[in-house]
Amino acid sequence: MSELADNVIMFKVRDGEIGKLGILFERHHVPLYNYFLRQTGRRDASEDLVQEVFLRMLKYRQSYRGESQFTVWMYRIARNSWVDYYKKAKRELPWDEDADEPISDDPNPNDDLEESQKLSQLRAALAKLSPEKREVLVLSRFQDMKYEEIAELLGCAVGTVKARVHRAIKDLKDIYLELSQEKII
Amino acid sequence: MTCQQTTELFPDYLLGNLTEAAAAEMQSHLNSCAACQKEAESLRAIWTKLESLPSEQPSETMRPRFYAMLEAYQQGLQHSQSAPRLRDVVNGWLKRWWPKQPAFQFAFAVVLLITGLFIGNRFNAPAPARDSSELVTLRSELNSMRELMTLTLLRQESPSERLQGVSWVQNMDKPDNELLSALLHRLDYDPNINVRLAAVDALDLFVNQPLVRQGLIQSLSRQASPLVQIALIDLIVQLREKQASAALKQLIMNEKINADVKQRAEWGIQQLL
Repeated sequence: MSELADNVIMFKVRDGEIGKLGILFERHHVPLYNYFLRQTGRRDASEDLVQEVFLRMLKYRQSYRGESQFTVWMYRIARNSWVDYYKKAKRELPWDEDADEPISDDPNPNDDLEESQKLSQLRAALAKLSPEKREVLVLSRFQDMKYEEIAELLGCAVGTVKARVHRAIKDLKDIYLELSQEKII
Repeated sequence: MTCQQTTELFPDYLLGNLTEAAAAEMQSHLNSCAACQKEAESLRAIWTKLESLPSEQPSETMRPRFYAMLEAYQQGLQHSQSAPRLRDVVNGWLKRWWPKQPAFQFAFAVVLLITGLFIGNRFNAPAPARDSSELVTLRSELNSMRELMTLTLLRQESPSERLQGVSWVQNMDKPDNELLSALLHRLDYDPNINVRLAAVDALDLFVNQPLVRQGLIQSLSRQASPLVQIALIDLIVQLREKQASAALKQLIMNEKINADVKQRAEWGIQQLL
């Protein structure tokens, strides 16, 4: 038997089979965690946010219509959760730079020093992009979303998404080159 | 195809979305235009390089935390479904007590009103000596509220909120024993190392309390992480307590212990001699 599609499972959750959300969690929590990690650069916040997204899925399950891809709906919730979390964090404890846990350190250090240096430069370059540009890049490159889906998620035209991806990758290239030249000097 | 048209295709080119015809047209332009070719290659290179950024796995607490939430949510739903029945019970109970005759209803209301007035009078009796003593009461109430809040924070499932709880304790002049025990509990059992380390720092401020001194020494055997162990050893050495050196010796006896920690513990024993 082939695996049930996300949409079908979410309909079941909506209609009362709450426990089925576990299947969606198993399928999506790691990509979702990495989405937040790349956007925020903070591990603990990313875990909190993943939990928040699944909680909101339960809360708002009645509003699930399945008109678009499940992932579009999921990332819409994810974006809203992030916006709310950021607002709350700013109000309650001003974004403390010291408490920041930057992900520049690879948890599995690479033996090849040069290679791992390149990686951390790339990560730093990604972090320097503006949030809007980073978002389309992360969604299309890492979260495997199609431009049409991103357009639906962001509520804009497909052309706009493509233009933004183009500018983003161009900026990323420039920042990356700049960083690697700094290192050489 | 112009340069402008070519660059517009880049995003689709990167994702591999181009139709065969479009790809061929683009390629023929690239062959004749060095600038566009260079641009396409450099964008492709960085796009490919992004692939090498590894995905990370969330911590082990992520999954149990989700399932705990799911279960709590399900229980909450069942509870709310059984709630109407509870309301029926209360309604039935009230119905039995509420008199059916309007005259009795009126009498009942009057009795209630008088009882209310009487109780109100008793409680509103002029309180003697207000002003400064009232202020003191108010302040102590505020403090206990704050302590309650902190305790709640320390028990949250989110590590960042627990960290906030720890830092609140740090800012208190004299946290009570319940708070200190909660903090010691965090030190012993918190799944997040940052919280445990923060707890060590916070407890450092209250080492004059016997409860804290005891707790710190006992905690040494419960820690598995070298970072926390070393932080604890440093703190315990400062205490200059006799029991401490026994605990350190016990730690050294443990075969599984990290070499750095062992060295630190040996140093600690020297200091305590």
